[in-house]
Amino acid sequence: MKLLTFVKEALEGRKLATAGAIWLLIIVVAGIAAPLIAPFDPLEIDPIARLSEPGTPYLFGTDHFGRDTFSRAVYGARMALIIGIGSVMVALLCGGLVGMLSGYFTGLGHVLMRMVDVLMAFPALLLALVLMTVLERSVFNTILVIGIVYATTTARILFGMMLKLKNEVFIDAARCSGAGHLSLLFRHILPNLLSPILVQATFIFAFAQLQAAALDFLGLGLPPEVPSWGNMLAEERIYITRAPWLLIFPGVLIILSVFSMNLLGDALRDRIDPRFKDDIAGV
Amino acid sequence: MRYVTALTLGSRMISPVSDNQPLLRVENLCIAIQNAGQLQPVVRDLSFEVQASQTLGIVGESGSGKSLTVLAIMGLLSGSPVRVTSGKVWFDGKDLLQLSDAERRSIMGDGMSMIFQEPMTSLNPVYKIGDQIMEGIRHHQHCSAKEARTRALQLLEKVKIPDASTRIDHYPHQLSGGQRQRVMIAMALACDPLLLIADEPTTALDVTVQKEVLDLIAEIQQDTGTAIILISHDLGVIAQTCNFVAVMYCGEIVESSTTEKLFQRLGHPYTRGLIESIPPLHSDVEWLNAIPGQVPALNALPVGCSYQPRCSHAQAQCRQNPPVALLDDEHIVRCHFAQQLQGRAS
Amino acid sequence: MSNTPLLDVKALNVVFRTKSSGKLLATNRNHAVKNVSFSVHAGEVLSLVGESGCGKTTIGRILTGLESAESGTANFQGDNILGLSNAGFRPLRKHIQMIFQDPYASLNPRLTIEKILSEPLFIHKLVRNRVEARTRMAAMLKQVGLDPDALKRYPHEFSGGQRQRIGIARVMLVSPRIIIADEAVSALDVSIQAQVLNLLKKLQRSSGVAMLFISHDLAVVRHISDRIAVMYQGEIVELNDKQQIFENPQHEYTRLLLSSIPQVKARSTP
Repeated sequence: MKLLTFVKEALEGRKLATAGAIWLLIIVVAGIAAPLIAPFDPLEIDPIARLSEPGTPYLFGTDHFGRDTFSRAVYGARMALIIGIGSVMVALLCGGLVGMLSGYFTGLGHVLMRMVDVLMAFPALLLALVLMTVLERSVFNTILVIGIVYATTTARILFGMMLKLKNEVFIDAARCSGAGHLSLLFRHILPNLLSPILVQATFIFAFAQLQAAALDFLGLGLPPEVPSWGNMLAEERIYITRAPWLLIFPGVLIILSVFSMNLLGDALRDRIDPRFKDDIAGV
Repeated sequence: MRYVTALTLGSRMISPVSDNQPLLRVENLCIAIQNAGQLQPVVRDLSFEVQASQTLGIVGESGSGKSLTVLAIMGLLSGSPVRVTSGKVWFDGKDLLQLSDAERRSIMGDGMSMIFQEPMTSLNPVYKIGDQIMEGIRHHQHCSAKEARTRALQLLEKVKIPDASTRIDHYPHQLSGGQRQRVMIAMALACDPLLLIADEPTTALDVTVQKEVLDLIAEIQQDTGTAIILISHDLGVIAQTCNFVAVMYCGEIVESSTTEKLFQRLGHPYTRGLIESIPPLHSDVEWLNAIPGQVPALNALPVGCSYQPRCSHAQAQCRQNPPVALLDDEHIVRCHFAQQLQGRAS
Repeated sequence: MSNTPLLDVKALNVVFRTKSSGKLLATNRNHAVKNVSFSVHAGEVLSLVGESGCGKTTIGRILTGLESAESGTANFQGDNILGLSNAGFRPLRKHIQMIFQDPYASLNPRLTIEKILSEPLFIHKLVRNRVEARTRMAAMLKQVGLDPDALKRYPHEFSGGQRQRIGIARVMLVSPRIIIADEAVSALDVSIQAQVLNLLKKLQRSSGVAMLFISHDLAVVRHISDRIAVMYQGEIVELNDKQQIFENPQHEYTRLLLSSIPQVKARSTP
């Protein structure tokens, strides 16, 4: 409930961010209710209607197999949600834990953070590419790889915040009350990290979309049969002159979703504290 | 000796008739803060005067509006949700509140300058202290860099920075807190201001350093005849450095007088409460006579006298605005019972 | 007063090492506390007074296990408490409590007063259940002059003075043997400071808890202490009964401190 009021306060008076949030809500609903919304099976092939223009019955037209682009886009929204939420969870769980523990136990932190530094030396996409070439193409592996890539930045951010929070007087006070490490970490410190973590999550969600699309486009992401926006771009790219709608629809969807997520993230970040701007913008 | 600094309360001007114009005269100044769409008054109907060579102490607890008052005089409120709603601030014959930014800037530094509480945050950490002092000098006096440096060196010597010729090339972080405050004073003095406003200048300093800094300010005043407004929460500091005192509570001056008279006959119950709240240094008391309750919130000011809910003498009458009582020609108290409470222990 | 002190600090030394800015691997040594010895008896209030950087706050943090010492001993009820691990110190936390200076920073902004106050009760197993905890907390809030309604609220809803009262309630709830109060009233306005000082003195008297009162303010120290230790640059330069310190100061620094305090010479009315 507190989270909802927090989001509401963040969006107050910010029209663009509110529009973004509404767009995201549409994507979420579309993703969840995909079987109800999509008029066709996204994998169903209609050989006669290959590359047909947008209209009826194919709202967004069809691809070169004759599959309904609109249905695929709707199921793509579902895939976008799965990838986004999955990556955020992996990134926050791995990165959050590493960052928090490193900041709290500084000895351990020296070792862990150097490892994070090594991973961060690779450009995000390159790191994802390297990991994906080792692993099999699958939804799970894509989530895992993207999650790990963004776990590094999450770890860095939480490490910094942890160092600051650890020295707060109220943490000393809790220690004087007899609180142990677990209680200090999760009862006293974690609630103070929740809002920055939420902001971080929105950015990871947005960047995960871009990463996933890029991996799909390079043929290293999701298996080709999975209807995702990235795969749609990858498969139909040779038809860009003959059937541009095949690329315009998924492209616009990716851009709008990433943009909306970033707007929402910005609004949330400013709500927490304008001074955090520089801390989190390093994603 | 006659005190030429006069203080007034409310709309009534009560001042010893002086031939010369006061250097600074604040008339019925009202300041309000914009909060959730409405204006809440923070400083109400404030009037006082300061004359050359005089030190006026404004004392009050946090939230009394003392700092906002001087920020308003310095014109440093623009851009914040706080603004002056009415009143006049006469300085050297001009109403500061009517001036344009450019006109006001030419008065700042030349006419009046300010010392802040925290010397570390008011000095720019990336510039040498000498350069920071010289900037003010060059800006106002249009002299060469060499002349400015000589002047800066003189100023550092004047504020008794040891080894000034080396220190002039040091950065703020290389100095101690007391020395930084001395540098701030040197900067404030750079253009021989007529009025020096010091907002809690020694609050961040240790007592031994505080004494040195206060002594320095007093000495400089002797030499230059600068008028000073000293803001403090510490009655001891005020008592030792000022010849005039104004006690503020909830945005109003509740009592003002010459220092000597004020501490001789405490007129307002709040002033008395403040003094009795300080543990005595040279005697032992079992319990402090603390003022009960707390300073009311701005949006919940009590009716009538704002001190009335915490006052042990409060009566039904106190729910009406208190009159300005005159204990003698320089001692003013904003209380219904100013005369009766005279000489009575609380 | 019994002969064996409650807390006996002997030859305490604290050195802070910071990285030297010039050379690699070189460290600057800052000898913050030098060979300090003092003792606090049960029910007594001893003050450490001195200016910033004199080491008084460091001593308080050492004695609450928040910082570690270079050498020396601190015997609490006969056992040395220096060098204990975090876990080793835990059983002692019930007996050694600390009040912090900044009432705005010392309460976790994300926790309700109930959570803040109940934590030590449960950690030290002083209550069996929530109902019992609530009764205890409500009674304690009353004692420190707050409404039991406060339990449901968050720290930001209180003024500085009220927060310091909550801090005092947190400490008193576990019935400690000794309280270390680090500049406990320094951040408060004069009128509120007097209220909180009275409260501290009242609670100290009624509970008989010993107190190590750390402050820079000699007037406040005089009001609350039995004995006073004056510190200068990491050393105790003078330790004596408060009467002696104020009326017959022996050390030059004590005299300098006393003469530096600006005072109000109000003639109290007859």
